[in-house]
Amino acid sequence: MIAPPPSPKSVRSGAKRRIFAAIALVIALLLVAGLLLQHHLWRRQQWNRLLTADSARMTQDRQLAAFALAEAKPLYLAHCSGCHAADMKGDRGKGAPNLADAHWLFGDGSVFEIERTILYGVRSEHGKSRNVTDMPAFGLTGRLSAAEIRNLVQYLLKLSGRPHDVQAAAEGRSLYFDVAKANCADCHGESAQGNSNYGAPDLTIDVWHDSDDGRVFYDAIYSGQHRIMPGWIDVLPLAQIRALAIYVYIAARGASND
Amino acid sequence: MIDWTRELRGSHRSVVLPAIGMIVGLALGGFGMFHTVPQAITVPPGYIALVNQKGILATDFMSQTAAATGKPFAQTTPAERNKTLQEMIDEELLVQRGVLLDLPETTTEVRDVMTAAVNAQADTASKSTPPTDEQLQAYYDAHRARYSTTGTMQVRDLLLRVGGYQNANQSTAQAQADAQDALYRLRAGVPITQVMQHFGLVDSGRADAEEVLDFAAKLHLGAKLFPAAAALSDGEISEPVVDGDGVHLLLMQRRQTPRAADFANVRPKVYSDYVESVAKRAQNQELSILRRDAQILIASPPPP
Repeated sequence: MIAPPPSPKSVRSGAKRRIFAAIALVIALLLVAGLLLQHHLWRRQQWNRLLTADSARMTQDRQLAAFALAEAKPLYLAHCSGCHAADMKGDRGKGAPNLADAHWLFGDGSVFEIERTILYGVRSEHGKSRNVTDMPAFGLTGRLSAAEIRNLVQYLLKLSGRPHDVQAAAEGRSLYFDVAKANCADCHGESAQGNSNYGAPDLTIDVWHDSDDGRVFYDAIYSGQHRIMPGWIDVLPLAQIRALAIYVYIAARGASND
Repeated sequence: MIDWTRELRGSHRSVVLPAIGMIVGLALGGFGMFHTVPQAITVPPGYIALVNQKGILATDFMSQTAAATGKPFAQTTPAERNKTLQEMIDEELLVQRGVLLDLPETTTEVRDVMTAAVNAQADTASKSTPPTDEQLQAYYDAHRARYSTTGTMQVRDLLLRVGGYQNANQSTAQAQADAQDALYRLRAGVPITQVMQHFGLVDSGRADAEEVLDFAAKLHLGAKLFPAAAALSDGEISEPVVDGDGVHLLLMQRRQTPRAADFANVRPKVYSDYVESVAKRAQNQELSILRRDAQILIASPPPP
């Protein structure tokens, strides 16, 4: 049976529907494109703000800080967590320090200083990297005997508030200040509170040990330290490095506020 | 029936529209070619200045200002900041000029600095791992000679010339036989002057009159006589040694042999030598990679 031909009226209404549908689709597409463009422009604006805002105050801008954190997290996991660990607590074996505490080897822990470390690295052979001095290998070079190092370790345990041998610590103290022997005070300071210009850690805080035997200090004094961190200036855009600096800063601030 | 008016209108349109397009295109092209639009060059975020499109980072500027003035950047004055900025711009200009002048190609000092910097980068990673005691001991064992004290000697070198006006008819074999005889007499205790006179021995002039370090003795005695002398103890006389000028007898007067230093005494030197050797190995690896990837052509045949 042959279907009856459509009436002219129904043909016209079908065409109208298609036109309306097409117009609606175009409007919807334009809306989506507009939203995407707006989001893109907003992101670009945020990246620019990250670079132009005063680094000392930018973390007070909640919106900007939130943006930096969101952008930096995947960057951290991709580029930094391999050494500093996903939880930011570092890896002693790799010589990567804990970033989630408020103790800094280099700089004062400001966004500015963290950013400079990320930009140029530590002993990276970039001309602007942090590379003033090394921890000498006192044991390997024979400058200190094993017994002297053990005494020195006892003194450092005492400074950290750990259990220690009083007599050995007293002898270790003499070595600490002896310019012809260990001369630790030269970099770590007479108060042993370190010098962040040299990357000499504060020896009075109890964050370096994982046991009471002072093994960490013994190894560091015996074999020396020449930890390196690559500079990222030629790898990541400046804005991403700034975002990472804010990410690390906020992680450390969170630790200090705990 | 054909509507010729409509056909003509259609054919006009097919010519007119492309023509308008061409005119508009030419106009735009001509405008673009002959009208220079000043480009709005701005300093990108994160930079403090652009010098010939090369950026100076704001963080570097802040850091350098603080270092130059000795106070935090926030406390520096506009004049201090401007001074630092101008100095950084000057430095950048000079560096750019240096690159333009191809200084690495023309200036030895720049080449030296560049090669040293590349070597330093090559061994960066190797420096981060300290050696173990076992590695240092193994290195010391493998290079004991390097950690020996230098020996000294005071030796007398007697020569029985072969040929020349003094002994024109003397053959080497005859001189050797005479030297052997002289050696026998010297070892038997006959005074040196008497033996010298009897056989025509003379001081060669190669040995120093006083006690000298081994390296100096080697330099003066030569490669052939030095090992024979070095093997002698105080008062010993060497077997005859044939050299270019005749047959020699070496009389050791005073000998201090080189002594291997204890590992404990040379630890600092062993440590620095070891670290240096590791760095050198890393540099050589880097160089072998560079050579592998480079296209190096050497003239054939190579220059003499």
